[in-house]
Amino acid sequence: MSEIEIVAFKCKKCGRVHYPYHDRCLDCKSRDFEEIAPKGDAKLLAYTQIFNLPWGFDERFLIIGVAEFENNVKAMGQIKADTIDQLKTGMKLKAGWEPIRVVAGEKVYGLKYEL
Amino acid sequence: MRDVAILGVGMIPFGRRDEESLMDMLAHASLNALDDAGMGDKSVDAVYVANMGAGIIQHQTAIASSLVDRLSLLPAAADAVENGPASGGSAVKNGVLAVASGYYDYVLVVGGEKMREVTGWRATDFVSTMTHPEAEYPYGVTLPGMAGMFTRLYMEKYNVTREQIVAVAIKNQEIGILNPYAHIEMVITKEGIMDSPHSVVNNPVGADPLHLYDMCPVSDGAAAVVLCSLEMAQKLGKPKKPLVRVAGFGQATDTHTLQERDDPTDLKAVTLAAKQALDTAKLKPGDIDVAELHDAFTILEIAESEHVGFFKKGEGGKAALAGKTKLGGEMPINVSGGLKARGHPVGATGVAQVVDITWQLRHELDKNRQVKNAKNGMTVNFGGFGNNVLSFVLQRVEQ
Repeated sequence: MSEIEIVAFKCKKCGRVHYPYHDRCLDCKSRDFEEIAPKGDAKLLAYTQIFNLPWGFDERFLIIGVAEFENNVKAMGQIKADTIDQLKTGMKLKAGWEPIRVVAGEKVYGLKYEL
Repeated sequence: MRDVAILGVGMIPFGRRDEESLMDMLAHASLNALDDAGMGDKSVDAVYVANMGAGIIQHQTAIASSLVDRLSLLPAAADAVENGPASGGSAVKNGVLAVASGYYDYVLVVGGEKMREVTGWRATDFVSTMTHPEAEYPYGVTLPGMAGMFTRLYMEKYNVTREQIVAVAIKNQEIGILNPYAHIEMVITKEGIMDSPHSVVNNPVGADPLHLYDMCPVSDGAAAVVLCSLEMAQKLGKPKKPLVRVAGFGQATDTHTLQERDDPTDLKAVTLAAKQALDTAKLKPGDIDVAELHDAFTILEIAESEHVGFFKKGEGGKAALAGKTKLGGEMPINVSGGLKARGHPVGATGVAQVVDITWQLRHELDKNRQVKNAKNGMTVNFGGFGNNVLSFVLQRVEQ
């Protein structure tokens, strides 16, 4: 499994963690950020199973969710589960960096959570 | 700032309109509004065209320039407005500001979208382009997917039941069948979409926990309004139709991604936009007689009815189930059928809401859709997943 390539941004003035990137802190408007990587397990905050997928996906469905890492980085990712019934808000997930789609024959990597 | 009047409105039926191009639809809705305004062969000073997808779906850009040429409105100023599903509301706002400032006297605002000429696969991708290009879009999330996540959180936090959500779908399709402009012409029942064993087939899951009938259709359509100052409208002589004024509007934004909101169930931009609109109009939520809320997903009608202040948090679903939001109820919502039944050609929706409320305030609808003695109406046009929201308060001007 590849290393997670997400870069999050912690405000050096107030400590708020941002992902994705903002030019100014959402809370204190500071422009000074420390780059941080997501750390530890992730807690599932929200999830869904999508059956009507957009162009570019051949899967029958995708399970997608937003999870929060131990250092407060929150990020969307695909979830490896057989059925949505295996999921519950607040449960712990492991995060990895794996192919999430294919564009023009090239694999695109992103966050994949697993139980 | 001048008071702004809605001098005329027009729409074309929403649905699948294979025989017409996007430009045909925009032109026909515009002509309907110009005729309704009694403009005859007169021109306007400016035109605002709301549209989200012509550049992607029709491979056509600069559509405002094309429309003024087609309608022979030259040399009117012309701008296209793209603001996702809130494009219509944004275009109306631009028109209102242009007239209110005194810079332009007559303004045409038209919104339209032609989404059915591509496959559902492509249309879903087109709408998904409004998600964050790095943190959301690559994962395959769709707007129904965002709504699915929101719905589960909202149900968990406020004990919203499936029965309450289904009540919204049934209500909007029941009244939508009476609207000649509505896309969906089919009555549904709780048994058919929830209770019977066949409901699994009739109403499959689209984005869990949302089912097929919790979502608006993908539609073609267009709607238009003609604006001028209230003073000028009153000087035109006794109007054939009652005048409606724009008593207030509001707009607010929120984070692009849901994940960066402290409470993702809190639709802050809806609350702020609606409050600004009501405050400007010097009205309270209880003064509103009829509302068009952006029910792209049934949960949104419930959540928005709470966020604008019609009901307390956690009470909107109960109100829908109790029939309080039906025609004849204490707060009639989406008497047009809403996005759920009228349809959701994304660029047209914000304009269509203003058109429907204008018809209500002019008391010119059939009695099976008319809110009795409606004086104040409200709209909420919801862009992205609540990251850009517009609200209008319209008021009947008594002669």
